[in-house]
Amino acid sequence: MTDLANRKWYTGMLTQEDWWAVWLGVGFFFLSLFNIVGIDLVGWMTYPTKWVLNVPEGGKGAIGHAFYALGKKYSVTAKGFYKGLGWWSVIWTYVGFTIATCLGAFFMKWNMKRFFVGWTIIYFLTIATWFVGHHAFIAANKINMHKYGLNFALNLGGGGSFILALIVGLIIGNFFKPFAQFLSEAAKPEWYIKTAIVTLGVKLGYLPIKLAGMSQKLGKQAAGITFDLFVAGAAATIVAYMIFWPGVYIISRKIFKLPRATAAVLGSGISICGVSAAVATGGAVKAKPVVSIMVSALVVVWAVIELIILPGVFTHIWPGTKDPLVAGAAMGMSVKTDGADAAAGELLDEFMRNKVEVESNGAIKWPEGLITSSAVMTKVWIDMFIGIWAFVLALIWCYKIECKPGEKVPASEVWHRFPKFVIGYFFCWFFLLAIYFGPGQGGAPEAMPFLKTVKAGAVPVEKGMRKLFFMLTFISLGIITDFKKLREAQFGKMVWVYFVALFFFIIPVAMVIAYLFHHGMMPPNIAEFVVK
Amino acid sequence: MAEVEEKKEQASGTGTLTGAALEAEDVLAGAEPWAPIETKLVVWSFVIAIIALVIGLFLVPTSVLH
Repeated sequence: MTDLANRKWYTGMLTQEDWWAVWLGVGFFFLSLFNIVGIDLVGWMTYPTKWVLNVPEGGKGAIGHAFYALGKKYSVTAKGFYKGLGWWSVIWTYVGFTIATCLGAFFMKWNMKRFFVGWTIIYFLTIATWFVGHHAFIAANKINMHKYGLNFALNLGGGGSFILALIVGLIIGNFFKPFAQFLSEAAKPEWYIKTAIVTLGVKLGYLPIKLAGMSQKLGKQAAGITFDLFVAGAAATIVAYMIFWPGVYIISRKIFKLPRATAAVLGSGISICGVSAAVATGGAVKAKPVVSIMVSALVVVWAVIELIILPGVFTHIWPGTKDPLVAGAAMGMSVKTDGADAAAGELLDEFMRNKVEVESNGAIKWPEGLITSSAVMTKVWIDMFIGIWAFVLALIWCYKIECKPGEKVPASEVWHRFPKFVIGYFFCWFFLLAIYFGPGQGGAPEAMPFLKTVKAGAVPVEKGMRKLFFMLTFISLGIITDFKKLREAQFGKMVWVYFVALFFFIIPVAMVIAYLFHHGMMPPNIAEFVVK
Repeated sequence: MAEVEEKKEQASGTGTLTGAALEAEDVLAGAEPWAPIETKLVVWSFVIAIIALVIGLFLVPTSVLH
């Protein structure tokens, strides 16, 4: 056990999931940058494409091409080599990420044998689910289904794979519990999603570069939108944060008559950022340890329920495709674990882009990732405030509520509660922005050959690695989610506090605040630049 | 309880989710009476929220005021 009193600023750099999300995300990001000097070290990352068993004449979707190495499309120096990989890219990806994750597991002192076997099973389950989820019947939409010889498709885009992964995970977690228990050493949704969020930083930084390839104006527009999301997300989060916590605290104390410390932990867990906030606040207010654990369990289960409900509600009821970034920002403030939030944001992204394309008959296409980014941005800001709020509560409890002579709260608590993966996210984003505005000359035509080499590295990371880690997150979330726990008597009152607070307070307030700060922001239309 | 304490400290600040977090016991009883400091805490939180909202709406270029 770590000696909390003797923690240094660098404590946990090799032993915490947060830091290992940074090492994985930033590590592969740096590998991708070797493309600038002509060495493609990441083109092997695999990616699925839509397929059908019987390809129509002149159509698309051969099963032999259902997985390909992204270097086949984007590599500048090794396109031929990566083209030959095809389905073998699945094995290359397995080897690459097995080495990386096992390294993390080793330093985090997990059971290596169980992790390796569990990871292997989860990886190939993920690939199988990804494959099935990309059958054209599930993934195609009205615009492109005819290319696969279909007259009807479910219209789910890449979101179908995510839903399928969650279902597979939930089946294992709820019906094959000994198997789920065995896999639990490698079913780490928070680690996978934090890694995916770091690579989302690559996505954000890469967006201007990608759109500059279509037109210089679009590139600058994308850079502007990402910065607007950054600023609006910060403001919305501070406001939401300071409304959520006291609101949930009052609901817990006045309506459900809960003890003070339990209400404080619930207030943080439901309103701020789930598990981390519950644990941090539990420590700050000196709640019984089991309170943090109970709230964490509730957060996990409710986050999965939100993940299932909210993307559809936001897409089809309100705000719909008229305000996609309002929906994303509201998602980030409503879903209380990083994993479920980013996953719900990704699902929302898929649903929204698909819907607008169908509604406009192909005249409007949005670049992928911006709606996910709006969901993650508010969440990331919330994560950053956990430490500050836990520190404030610790001060209040220490000096005002449970006054003990001589007791002090060190300021270093803020740093120790800071979500470190956020550093990786911003680092990748700003690094690529610096490349875009520096040697990339803001997308000027003469800099395009250089930006193409950056793109060759960035795409496998922001697309292949990010989506794979999202899939791993969905399946792992399902594996560790046990709905039976909600029925357990001990949870009774807390389940109702959570339900009332979430659906009658948090989500409505989040939607209003997201609207106030994001209304009217739209992703750029790239339809005229996309090859049909 | 010592085991639970250890789990909590190990998870502290990491946001780690594990199946082991799904254990429970009753801690819902024994609510203390509402204290004046709690009123101060929630009122000041709301006040800060309103101030932040007004400033934010004026300063953030994408807000509905612009």
